[in-house]
Amino acid sequence: MHNSSVYIIVPAYNEQKVLLKTISALVTTAYSVVVVDDGSTTNLKECIKELPVYFLRHQINLGQGAALQTGNEFALKMGAKYIVHFDADGQHQISDIEKLLKPLLSMECDITLGSRFLQQQAKEIPVRKRAIIYVARYINLLFTGILLSDAHNGLRAMNKKAADLLTLSENRMSHASEILFLIKKHKLKILEIPVSILYTPYSKQKGQSIWNSIRILFDLLLHKLFQ
Amino acid sequence: MTGIQIVLVTAFVFVALYYFTKLRNRIIDVILLLVLVILAVLFVLFPEITGLIAKKLGVGRGADLVFYTSIVTFWFVVLKLYTKIRKLEQLTTDLIRKQTLDEAVQKKNETEN
Repeated sequence: MHNSSVYIIVPAYNEQKVLLKTISALVTTAYSVVVVDDGSTTNLKECIKELPVYFLRHQINLGQGAALQTGNEFALKMGAKYIVHFDADGQHQISDIEKLLKPLLSMECDITLGSRFLQQQAKEIPVRKRAIIYVARYINLLFTGILLSDAHNGLRAMNKKAADLLTLSENRMSHASEILFLIKKHKLKILEIPVSILYTPYSKQKGQSIWNSIRILFDLLLHKLFQ
Repeated sequence: MTGIQIVLVTAFVFVALYYFTKLRNRIIDVILLLVLVILAVLFVLFPEITGLIAKKLGVGRGADLVFYTSIVTFWFVVLKLYTKIRKLEQLTTDLIRKQTLDEAVQKKNETEN
């Protein structure tokens, strides 16, 4: 496999503080890196202009789901064979990318989802966070029939076939559950891979709050009603 | 005519006039609105009619009947608007995405030349 046919999609919205660090680390991997600026109000391009990445920009803010979909479509256009979704806020580990790709390369499955509960000490994850994730897992089960060991973890990898089939129409954060709907609908094979999530004060503050989670649930209900 | 009747009838007539003059609409919408406004004006001028219908349907007062049907209509309108907003949102997303991808491909060609 040629490393450059693996596309890493990094959606970013006003994350100039951490973006440079995340991207500088990613470009050392020889994978193709695609930064999707989701209508940031600050100049993201300026802070990573020295780096060899594809830079896409939404003129207005549409949401993370929309940014990932744009990234996917771009990567497929460029002839990507594998696509990885990676958060800009620095909570994902670069070493995990290879772990996610391995089962795809050996054709064991179509999509790999990162799970922070398969290896990491649960204690390392903030309690409130754990509670939200616990509820989210079962809500996902209720809606999609898939019970995962983790929910709404932004790290995932897919092959071309899966990327072609997964067309995200939920612009905001409920895309993570929408991916599960689509996995089920298209009978894609999935595998959960243990990954570690780094909880920095920055990513904690940026993560899903309870109100946000309720918003996601609401979006999900509406998605079911109006699809 | 009582005071409230004058106020309500004037309001309905203004809504109808505004709708017909300012907005270009499909013929079906215009007819629907015309029927609704005529009904509303009739009910305002002859409140006994709603009372009669209400009794037939087993609702106590005419005003209650109007209130209940308004709630149902209100929800219907909200849902209608919501689907419309979702459609518009999808359209915006498609347009922005297309622009983004076009620009990206263009940039790539420039660097190649």
